[in-house]
Amino acid sequence: MIPGTRHGLLGVGLAMGALLVAIAIMGPALAPYDPTAPVAPRLAEPSPPGAPFWLGTDDLGRDVLSRLLHGARISLLVGLVAMVVTMTIGTAIGLTAGYFGGVVDVLLMRLTDVMLAFPGLLLAVALVAVMRPSVWTIFVVIGLVSWTGVARVVRSEALSLRERDFVLAARALGASHARIVARHVLPNVAPTLVAIAALSTSGTILLDAGLSFLGIGVPPPTPTWGRMIQEASAYYRVAPWLMAFPGLAVLYAVLAFNLVAYGLADRGTSAR
Amino acid sequence: MSPRRALAPLLGLVALAACLRDPPLAWPPRAPGSQRGGVLRLAAPDDVPTLDPALGYDSRSWTYEQHLFETLVTYDDQSRLVPELAEGWSIADDGRTYRFRLHAGVTFSDGTPLTAADAVGSLERVLDPRTRSQGAEYYREIVGAADYVEGRAPHVAGLTAPDATTLAIVLREPDPLFLHKMALLFAAVVPAEYARRLGDDFTDRPIGSGPFLLREWRRGERLVLARNPRYRRADRPFLDGIVEQSGVNGELAWLKFLNDEIDVSGIPPADFPSVRRATDVERPGRLVSGLTLVTNYLGFNCRMPPFEDRRVRQALNYAVNKEGLIALLNGRGTVAQGIVPPGMPGYASAATGYPYDRERARALLREAGQGAGFATELWTQSSDLDLKMSQKVQHDLAAVGVTMEIRQVAWSSFLEAIRRPNTVPLFDLAWSADFPDPSNFLDVLFRSSRVDANNHTFYANPTFDGLLTRAERLRDPAARTLAYAEAERLLVDDAPVIFLYHPIAYVMTQRRVHGYAIHPLLPSRFTDVWLAPEPTGAQGTSAGS
Amino acid sequence: MRYLIGRLAWALVILLCATWITFGIVFLVPGDPARVVAGPRADAATLAAIRHELGLDRSLPAQYGRYLWRLARGDLGRSYANRQPVAATLARCLPATATLAAASLAIALVVGLAGGLATAPFAGRFVDRAALVCSLAILSAPVFWFGMIALYWLGFRWRLVPLGGAGTLRHLLLPALVLGVGTGVYYARLLHTSLRDVLTLDYMRAARARGVGPVRLLAVHALRNAALPLLTIVGLDFAALMNGVVLTETVFHWPGLGRLAFDAVLALDVPIIMGTVLLGAAFVVVTNLVVDLLYRIVDPRIRLG
Repeated sequence: MIPGTRHGLLGVGLAMGALLVAIAIMGPALAPYDPTAPVAPRLAEPSPPGAPFWLGTDDLGRDVLSRLLHGARISLLVGLVAMVVTMTIGTAIGLTAGYFGGVVDVLLMRLTDVMLAFPGLLLAVALVAVMRPSVWTIFVVIGLVSWTGVARVVRSEALSLRERDFVLAARALGASHARIVARHVLPNVAPTLVAIAALSTSGTILLDAGLSFLGIGVPPPTPTWGRMIQEASAYYRVAPWLMAFPGLAVLYAVLAFNLVAYGLADRGTSAR
Repeated sequence: MSPRRALAPLLGLVALAACLRDPPLAWPPRAPGSQRGGVLRLAAPDDVPTLDPALGYDSRSWTYEQHLFETLVTYDDQSRLVPELAEGWSIADDGRTYRFRLHAGVTFSDGTPLTAADAVGSLERVLDPRTRSQGAEYYREIVGAADYVEGRAPHVAGLTAPDATTLAIVLREPDPLFLHKMALLFAAVVPAEYARRLGDDFTDRPIGSGPFLLREWRRGERLVLARNPRYRRADRPFLDGIVEQSGVNGELAWLKFLNDEIDVSGIPPADFPSVRRATDVERPGRLVSGLTLVTNYLGFNCRMPPFEDRRVRQALNYAVNKEGLIALLNGRGTVAQGIVPPGMPGYASAATGYPYDRERARALLREAGQGAGFATELWTQSSDLDLKMSQKVQHDLAAVGVTMEIRQVAWSSFLEAIRRPNTVPLFDLAWSADFPDPSNFLDVLFRSSRVDANNHTFYANPTFDGLLTRAERLRDPAARTLAYAEAERLLVDDAPVIFLYHPIAYVMTQRRVHGYAIHPLLPSRFTDVWLAPEPTGAQGTSAGS
Repeated sequence: MRYLIGRLAWALVILLCATWITFGIVFLVPGDPARVVAGPRADAATLAAIRHELGLDRSLPAQYGRYLWRLARGDLGRSYANRQPVAATLARCLPATATLAAASLAIALVVGLAGGLATAPFAGRFVDRAALVCSLAILSAPVFWFGMIALYWLGFRWRLVPLGGAGTLRHLLLPALVLGVGTGVYYARLLHTSLRDVLTLDYMRAARARGVGPVRLLAVHALRNAALPLLTIVGLDFAALMNGVVLTETVFHWPGLGRLAFDAVLALDVPIIMGTVLLGAAFVVVTNLVVDLLYRIVDPRIRLG
């Protein structure tokens, strides 16, 4: 293996991610039109890409480019915040189970089993129906649905750490559990956590797009990429660009985080 | 173990998919040059919900129920009441007692005779709470219905069959709409004893006296009706059968239509502009259209601020560009001037609606003290079109300072929420007529006493109620129409809803299909549909575009 | 044996928890199942009659108890929406989903094995990196979008496959491909990684020294060991596969369980929701159990306790 080239993935991923963040921040300023206003001459007849609408317009006469640029912000926001929720729940449960072991571990892992037995997307659909659809609901729902994977990985890491010398030593010195977890376990899990976080972000962006596609994502007028694909599906034969561009945008964002995740994981394995 | 071996059972399952193919259906050969014969091929995205006339309350179910069963009375093409299973009827002077004379010698498709006792049993089945029929409420005003529903009587006292071909019905109060209620498919005559025995399974093995009978129903695959050889009228139907393939969405149906795999199809929004622009010869088939008795509107909750102020409601009516919505529908609609659709037989609306006028909207809002605008929430169900329409309205309202959030909810939750007071400020709904009568819009949707049922706007105006009461008591049709028109004018002025549009239905049929029409009230009927015989050796008249 | 009984008992507990959680969530959803039955126009009296008829006027625990009692006797109830027995509806939709899932899993395994085996010898070289970036790109595409692109090119432009619907192998091809390729690419990476690790092990070197050919070395000796992690993942993936199934069935109008469950949630058709969740959970639990047992069979170092 040639270590240097492998890290290229991480670099490319980070660069792509940086560009995404830049677009998310400046996107609304860059957008040539109001993303919710019908600016095309005709309704119900999407116009193809070309001046003055570089990526075309949709059936409501809105500029696709402007919608994509505005959508970047919401997709990234959902991806990151939902990732934080996912990571928090997953890490808390995984650390508790792995560090304490025994009955706590069994109970928490059985809970994880039950959650895994649910088809996550359906659970999300039901949860969105219980709460009201909003950005906040989406954060929480995605977090509630996708923490299981994180919990499993963190648990197995914590499980191996609890028998390590420095943890045993700290315990012998009378350190509290909270202190041991915060000072000794968490820092050692951290490198793994960063890689999982990147992977989890790409997962949440995809899940958010899926929810939007099923019509239960962030409500309009907020332009989201998933909803753009869903709204384009009625026109996929006569106006394929309508679904192509938002799909490519999702692909780009998810790929950026996947590259970061794989790059980090590779660095982790080659370092050890 | 080798992973290759693990694949074997999986591949077996894949092969199973090949076995799901439809077995061929046999139809009688067709005499050349005859109008009679042939099979109408249709397609739909989902299964028909039910074939049990006591249960169906949607156009999909009614499409097929009306071919399997008959009601005592029905509607002609102009939505006028005409006899069907009944030869005729009489109404006593008190307006409460109805006598229907049934055709003699009618049999169900299984050969058992159809008698007035079946008609009695069919209505009792609808009233029976165990049937859980949505249509029960229409027949509760029959004398003795309440006792029967609550289990105090084995039969409905006001529902009798003096002889095999006479049905007598006594109502508690005169009801000008009762004949219309007898034309609803809930009142279709089924073999009562048989239906009761089958219970919820009647839908799978329905037996009726209609022009067709159920030949096969495999859910998720296809529904097949065949000509009922025992049908009352020897000259109908023309078709040997009807096959509806299920699991075919609108998009796919259109492509199948272009491929001449089906005979009738809706036109996807993406394709409609080009179809509309084309000349008749260029089109891939025959374009059939018709106005239906439907009104789409956005309802206000008239008790929730700021919508308790009439000026705010009027302002929002002015603020919405209805022509824009119709453009979004590819022109498949007409702007609503009032609530009663223009096709309502025997009714002349005097309502003039609200033109699109942002300045007047702003002025009215200022007058109402809402010049700075306000925020509200539109509840809508999850359909794609509804959502696009809502986004258009959202944009229109933003222009006059009203921030409208869109709250998308599932149909079941939607229905529940709009009934609760102080919950839904603004909602997106359409009403399609049960009966061709203006009261079916004005009374059902807006009478103050209907708040428990279908008056979701919580609109209450004693003057309006008074006009309805007056209209309802009038026997003279012309005077009645005038009274309802007056009520509607008042209603439009009060604006408890944003009047949007009346949709126009469009379908395309292959050119060999004749007699296919869009009925304003009922789903399209296939009894009079016939297929032009194909000249031998020639291809279908229509080619894909 | 004791192990097996324990696992089965645990599986039952999971299923019970699943029904309990589902029942709870469904009743938190604002909406009235009786309204689903009664339809939009029914009046209050009809609604009350229906609520009583369905037992919806009883307390939640009573309703849950009644549901469990019927379930114990094998009665899943009838759909609120179309009154068909839930068992019959599930039986009708199961083959479609099972066929789709099996076909996509088959495609995934083929892609995974082929991809993994083909790229393993090139570990660290340009081919490997190109393959990695390609796989990541495929993994990053939303499955429904991928489906629509495939539908546009393969179905509409090139007319190679039907544009949706179900029934024949040709109908199955596109949804199975869309669902399977992404998973396959993922499997390929996993296999690639574990093959890479295995190839450096001593006994592999020994086999090579004995003169075992490179193909045989890879396909027989290495694969046997590298397949283990893959097997675990395949089992664990089943729940994740169900997510893809819901989206794929939506895009392709495939008349399966995913679509059924999704529509039931929207319509508050409680008996169908309960039925599909129960079936889905049972699937996951059983697959996990089978994978566990297989794992023990494949790897004799793990003893059945």
